Amino acid sequence: MSDAASAETDDGTTPTGPADPLGPGSMLYELSHQARWGLVATRAIVLEAAHPQIGAALITNSTFVAHPWRRLHNTVISTQRMVDPDEQVRHREAARLNRLHARITGVDAEGRPFNAADPEARTWVVATLFESTVMMRRLSGQSLDGPALDRLYAEFRAFLALMEPDGGKLPPTLREFWHYYDFMVNERLENTEAVHVILDRLFTQVPAPPLLRDRPAVWAAGRALVSPVATAITVASLPETLRIRLGLSELPGTHTLMHTAYVSTRLATQLLPEAWTRLDTVMAMLDPAYAPQTGGDALSGLRSGAAKAGALLRLLTPVPGTAAVGDSTVRSAARFFSEVLDQTGNGYLDWPDVAAMAREIATRLDLDAAEEDRLFTAFADWWKDLQRELDSDSDGRITGHEYAAAAAAMTSPALIKVAEVLFDVTDTDNDETIDTQEYRDLFRTAFNHNPGNGGDADNSDEQLKRSEFVRRFLNFMTGRQHSGAYDRLFAQS
Amino acid sequence: MRGMPRHVAFVMDGNGRWAAQRLLPRTAGHMAAEAAVIDVIEAAHTAGVEWLSLYAFSTENWRRPAVEVDVLMRLVRRAIRKHALALHMRGIRCRFLGVTDPRIPPWLARDIADLMVLTRDNRRMTLTVAFDHGGRRDIVEAARSLIRDGVPPEEVTEESFARHLPHPDMPEVDLVIRTSGEQRISNFMLWQVAYAEWMFPPVLWPDFRAAHFRECLDTYQRRDRRFGGVQVPTVTGKGL
Repeated sequence: MSDAASAETDDGTTPTGPADPLGPGSMLYELSHQARWGLVATRAIVLEAAHPQIGAALITNSTFVAHPWRRLHNTVISTQRMVDPDEQVRHREAARLNRLHARITGVDAEGRPFNAADPEARTWVVATLFESTVMMRRLSGQSLDGPALDRLYAEFRAFLALMEPDGGKLPPTLREFWHYYDFMVNERLENTEAVHVILDRLFTQVPAPPLLRDRPAVWAAGRALVSPVATAITVASLPETLRIRLGLSELPGTHTLMHTAYVSTRLATQLLPEAWTRLDTVMAMLDPAYAPQTGGDALSGLRSGAAKAGALLRLLTPVPGTAAVGDSTVRSAARFFSEVLDQTGNGYLDWPDVAAMAREIATRLDLDAAEEDRLFTAFADWWKDLQRELDSDSDGRITGHEYAAAAAAMTSPALIKVAEVLFDVTDTDNDETIDTQEYRDLFRTAFNHNPGNGGDADNSDEQLKRSEFVRRFLNFMTGRQHSGAYDRLFAQS
Repeated sequence: MRGMPRHVAFVMDGNGRWAAQRLLPRTAGHMAAEAAVIDVIEAAHTAGVEWLSLYAFSTENWRRPAVEVDVLMRLVRRAIRKHALALHMRGIRCRFLGVTDPRIPPWLARDIADLMVLTRDNRRMTLTVAFDHGGRRDIVEAARSLIRDGVPPEEVTEESFARHLPHPDMPEVDLVIRTSGEQRISNFMLWQVAYAEWMFPPVLWPDFRAAHFRECLDTYQRRDRRFGGVQVPTVTGKGL
């Protein structure tokens, strides 16, 4: 298999499809590295949210409303790992996703249990991605012909099969797939809360990407223009039966708008220099700390240009006149609660928030199963402590008010344990110090006390000892001390 | 007559006294300093100085009253934002020396990082702002770095040591100008000033202008030619 794959990589694509359905040369690989993949993913997530189980999981556990850019970052990296040329990378990522999904379980508002690892739900996720890809090609005037459709479908099936030991539940043929898709849209999808959260809250209130997070006014102005258009385009592209069920009417002219948008992205992809429309480039532009998985030296010049443009934009954007957000080194308990602790953005601190922190760390460090377990256990113990100390009305969740009233109780031995486990899993070479690379893996940034050197000199001599690491973590979590690095990890959108 | 100094460094002294003379708070002196900074950058740029270093804030300055430190931080931010584009368009690469203390507010660290990213490929002149800088600390850090790299003692030379200092590509300082007549080194770029000429014009930093700078450059160029103890012009202090 790997021989076939490497042979394929050398001579590019073939009309019949490569022996390796994922990886370089596959349609999926190509698409998932293009910026317009964003259109596919956005539409797909609305279709996913209308699935009752997935919708419930999204609403209760996902951080995508409060931290959409971080979530996008993780999704992009995960997808690119799933189509990585190295099969081992793919399998490792699939196993990681399986563990991550298995931890997301619960009961929805109507008492129905959900489980993110449920094969039926996961089949639907991959189905929506496939269908949205087909739709994207069709709307942008690049309909796929029969053989290409078959090939793309086979690739998506292989994608799902990576995660599902039995190969997944996507129907074997394309014809059966469309039956399945129609059945799901007509019979299974519901008018869920999650869909409306996405359409009403995510699009209209999406927080600024890292590039503009110090400039909320600029972001808000741009968002006010773009958000209604994005919503209209997404709604217009949904299946009509679903649109009606969701109570969403199609505004006049949106079909034209939608076609224009899709065709524009196609033209951009075709006409602009290839590097400009790569997903990596867009991500690097939005988030200066974004480091693509692959080397790609050809893009480094462009990325450097994007980084400079971002820097200039930030420097030229006026600072809000009065006491600017983030001006203080110590934040109020209320802000710490909403910016750091309430990861899902529902106004409460409950287990999904704590789990989201653990998940974020596990994702960044690409932990193996045993380390991931240690980390989740440590966070779970801390959560039990928190509940015992702070949940004064015993409703299983902590309000901002409850937290503010007893924030000092945050320094529990369990929190120190969390810090220690975090140190252990970050210190991959077990030399009892966090070196530059380990620090970067966790925080996606250089040592924060050294913004100097402009990235061109090597700071390979910096290290962080266990005690100092634990001290900083506790300072951040209890003293509510601002920390550039931990803010990036937990508070940043 | 020798040429233009390649690397000129400034100890910008006298803001507080400048303000006190006018019965203003010390912070007013810092505000007035901005004009001098811009004037000197322009003058250095025009004169063809390749490396310009400014001592803006020492590791000892953290001991000043919190309010003054806070105002300074805000002033630096304002100056960076106001002049970033102009500096960039003049081909000036901006770098910072020091900037390690966690007390530096995140918004300032961000602007500093942005300014460095924006101008990193410029080569016409390199402006190094020593901010939260201490010369001894740099030397200690370099020693640590050598030890960590396991460099054997016999291989430690002045050249190999210098490669472990921050910004190892920075040439040695040719000329240091400390305003306000004070004659101290104040822990400023200790390694790099080893062979520098020093000048101590009495003018306070907020009053220092391009003309004063040109005078210093002129003196520097003539000093070598008249090597052997000719009286230096009034604008400089006793020199060596």
